[in-house]
Amino acid sequence: MLAPTFPNLVDQFRRLLGVNGVLSAHGELAVYECDGFTIEKNSPDVVVFPRSAADVQAIVKLANEHGVPFLPRGAGTSLAGGCLPVGGGVMIVLTRMKQILEVNLRDRYAVVQPGVVNVWLTQALKGTGYHYAPDPSSQGACTIGGNAATNSGGPHTLKYGVTVNHVLGLEAVMADGSLVEFGGPAEDNPGLDLTGVMVGGEGTLAIVTKVWVRLTRDPQGVRTMLGIFESCDDATAAISEIISAGIIPAALEMMDQGILEAVEQAFHFGFPLDAQAILLIEVDGLEAGLDAQRDQIVAICRRLGAREVRQAKDAKERLLLWKSRKQAFGAVGRLSPSYCTQDGVVPRTKLPHILRRITEIGAKHGIRTVNVFHAGDGNIHPILLFDERNQDQVRRVLLASGEILDECIACGGSVTGEHGIGVEKIGFMHKLFTSDDLDVMVRLRQAFNPLGNLSPGKMLPMAGACGLEQTQPGRRAAL
Amino acid sequence: MADATDMLPLTDTVAPADQAELAGVVRKAFDSVTPLYPIGGGTAMGFGVVPKRPGLGVSLAGLTRVVDYPYQDMTITVEVGITMAELAAVLARNGQRLPIDVSQASQATLGGLVATNFSGPLRYGHGTVRDYVIGISAVDGRGVTFKGGGRVVKNVAGYDFCKLLTGSLGTLAIISQVTLKVKPLPVATAWLTCELPDFRRAESLLAAMIDSKTTPVAIELVTGAHWQAAERTPMLIVGQGALGVLLVGFEGTQSEVDWQVEQLRREWQAQGASSLGCHADDAARHLGSQLTQFGSSSGPLVLKINVRPSAVTSIMDLLLEIDPNVSIAAHAGNGVVIAGFSEFSVADASKTLIQRLQPAAVAAGGNVVVWSCQAGELTRQAVWGAGRGDAEIMRAVKRQFDPKGLLNPDRFVYGTL
Repeated sequence: MLAPTFPNLVDQFRRLLGVNGVLSAHGELAVYECDGFTIEKNSPDVVVFPRSAADVQAIVKLANEHGVPFLPRGAGTSLAGGCLPVGGGVMIVLTRMKQILEVNLRDRYAVVQPGVVNVWLTQALKGTGYHYAPDPSSQGACTIGGNAATNSGGPHTLKYGVTVNHVLGLEAVMADGSLVEFGGPAEDNPGLDLTGVMVGGEGTLAIVTKVWVRLTRDPQGVRTMLGIFESCDDATAAISEIISAGIIPAALEMMDQGILEAVEQAFHFGFPLDAQAILLIEVDGLEAGLDAQRDQIVAICRRLGAREVRQAKDAKERLLLWKSRKQAFGAVGRLSPSYCTQDGVVPRTKLPHILRRITEIGAKHGIRTVNVFHAGDGNIHPILLFDERNQDQVRRVLLASGEILDECIACGGSVTGEHGIGVEKIGFMHKLFTSDDLDVMVRLRQAFNPLGNLSPGKMLPMAGACGLEQTQPGRRAAL
Repeated sequence: MADATDMLPLTDTVAPADQAELAGVVRKAFDSVTPLYPIGGGTAMGFGVVPKRPGLGVSLAGLTRVVDYPYQDMTITVEVGITMAELAAVLARNGQRLPIDVSQASQATLGGLVATNFSGPLRYGHGTVRDYVIGISAVDGRGVTFKGGGRVVKNVAGYDFCKLLTGSLGTLAIISQVTLKVKPLPVATAWLTCELPDFRRAESLLAAMIDSKTTPVAIELVTGAHWQAAERTPMLIVGQGALGVLLVGFEGTQSEVDWQVEQLRREWQAQGASSLGCHADDAARHLGSQLTQFGSSSGPLVLKINVRPSAVTSIMDLLLEIDPNVSIAAHAGNGVVIAGFSEFSVADASKTLIQRLQPAAVAAGGNVVVWSCQAGELTRQAVWGAGRGDAEIMRAVKRQFDPKGLLNPDRFVYGTL
């Protein structure tokens, strides 16, 4: 319930940010009622667009004065409802804070505002010999502030690590409106590694207003291969073998026959449609070592029954392969009107098992599943296909999704490798963690966010909002 | 090496046999308001402010089990009392390792490594222990056992306690078990070295490393008497007329290492460098070990200064100006400078630290921490550096995890809780 003074708050925001910096009309707010997780929707009461950390501080202080909850949002590409304004309140959209403030190659870091889109930084670094390593599939749209909040991954994190391995420091507005710097351009600042815990805090600990990121040397060379397999078992066995042979590929991705069909229709790469699975394997680094690694990978794939292992013949073919992979989700609309993807993780050696179980669980519930995922990390993304107009299918998709994630936990894995808990997976937290674990997490949040007014109802089941009843499982696919 | 008990105000020491017993010890201490001092291998007992409150030592020496080692998944779950030498031996049987340098590895434990966030030369290429801890179990100051992360290499479920507890010096919780991701052992390793007439030359070579075609795993810069004692470091000697030595380390397959050594040699020669040396394999490992051990064998006062990498040589100039007899090993690629002083008085040390070194380090984006001080007691500000804006949040976290302030009281950054 909004405080009676709420209209005054909106006026105060307008005075602070100008008319263009505030949205409060019902129709304007609709865009902000969900992120990439569209099952649950709730409108914020007002959306504000700060241009500076000082604006964010003033917004937070005003919201606190009026007793209204608030939460940050980047580009809204999160897939777990991290930006869902549970209980309404003030949504602080950081996309107008989009300056790359500093690039320092000598000290291998850059400083960016949170609204900088991931790929802009890499584009800005072109020609310098350096890049920003985390590359989520949504990198053309998602922001570095959002990446920091969710500790984003991406295909190349297998070798290079996820976002937290590349964040040196943060400037953030705390829940009380104070502005604090954590870490910075120098490594190893004394005290607790609060940067490390705020990255992946899903916006429940503070609102990031500046990020110091590590820059990574471009690899001297790259070899991109396509392994074509007659069975998913063979392909997943090859994944384990490659990694345990001591090779750390830059990326190791798998697509099964179901998704290949859609991807081929969309991108015409020339994927063999009768293959059961393909592996997209990339090694990078010094030219002096690459051909030997490639030969070793080819030998392992052949030994495990690969029909063929092709190498991308030039940069153009490599780019098309990666486009096919990164935009695979967009092609799913060719298979089904709606889909729902999961983000489980299993130990790599359990991949053959989990893929068999996904097929069995899908069959049991009469739901078709296809797979495209970060195989080298054991991070699966099963896609469940259905029609959201059919309530019975919807019910069965929910059951199947839950069973798949339960199976990941039974394998010693996790229910999210990179998308986050948000609101979507709150119900799984008590399966992964004991009540003591969750109690300590609540205590950590209380240290940062003692009143719980920053992004309430997220991540922890005891957060106040009692977990959302899921009634609809997925997003409408791009048709 | 002094015994652990010499440095701590211990009334007694207990050694729980398993994690449940550890939780029991902490619960009892919570009820009776007894300070606890966790002890691993006892190699870093001088780290931090000298504690005063009498309390119970909690040795983790009984927790040494390898809980799970699915080597094909390249992860290992172990209790924290295992020594780093033993852990390395377990991993080496499968051609794997944790690529973090550890001083006194036959004594130092995994728990101590994680709690102190120790690192060495390899951090340039492989990062620090925070990049390898993917799961953690611990007992907080109330005696509550909790965990974070898991056993898979990619996982964003819940708050990242692995990062929070790494480097927390046992002040939030006593770490009992850790899951690590590990890497393959390299086939070959080598260092290329270059003697330097002055630090200006060092900075020009360091700056040029940014454009090098090579991908080093270590970039080190050393100077001072410690590195002139030929009997101590037979392979690494700062010669007559030289101020220091720049060392760049490589790892990989034999062909990768060979190519990089030759490539960097060409790059350095093109920049006019001379007096180059190369050390491979066993000699290279020995050299890495000498650089890693430096902090624990370099005199009564050892400092760790962290700055932007480009400020390393100016900080080294300042250190030499303060004490011409200082010895230094810098992880120059990372901006981490370890300095050992041979003679000092406590009063001078505090004054020098607070008035001269701290402002210079802060201006370069970093700070100064006292790594060990065997000659007297220093204040918190001298030991942990200039306070920063995040101190209040750190105290708030500490109050949540250890409400009675019993875990390693007074040693860490917090000050008055």
